[in-house]
Amino acid sequence: MDAFSSSPSSGSPSQQFSSSDFKDQLKTQLAQAYAEEFLETIRVKCFDKCITKPGSSLGGSESSCISRCVDRYIEATGIVSKSLFSAQQ
Amino acid sequence: MDPSQLQSNELAQFIAQEKERAMVNEMVAKLTNVCWDKCITGTPGSKFSSSESSCLSNCARRYMDMSIIIVKRFQNMQ
Repeated sequence: MDAFSSSPSSGSPSQQFSSSDFKDQLKTQLAQAYAEEFLETIRVKCFDKCITKPGSSLGGSESSCISRCVDRYIEATGIVSKSLFSAQQ
Repeated sequence: MDPSQLQSNELAQFIAQEKERAMVNEMVAKLTNVCWDKCITGTPGSKFSSSESSCLSNCARRYMDMSIIIVKRFQNMQ
């Protein structure tokens, strides 16, 4: 972020990156951080639910539980988001 | 206003907007995390039962109600 720690009056085209590059980069990095955190939460939640007694290998019922758990967690995120931002009942 | 000033105002606005978006995302993530534990007690099925989904939305709304009460409680202490 060197381009922005220096004086903004040096707004020449030779800047390291333009304001729109900066915006894109910020958006990408935020989205990546969000996705990583989301995945980590899902791992923790679904491990809890589906791998209750870790065996010598991952069983078929465990894998199908994981798939369902991932789908439900995504759905739960949608339900929570909707309930906060749709009209209060 | 000179162009660089205009640009830095626009950037400040952009950052404020992204900050708000991040806060909203974080709140949704937090509430989902908490309400999942409260409401999804069994093994996840192929579909939420109606009691599970209403529990999730009630849980999220009640958490917000609670936050307001907690803030008020602290305000009363001063």
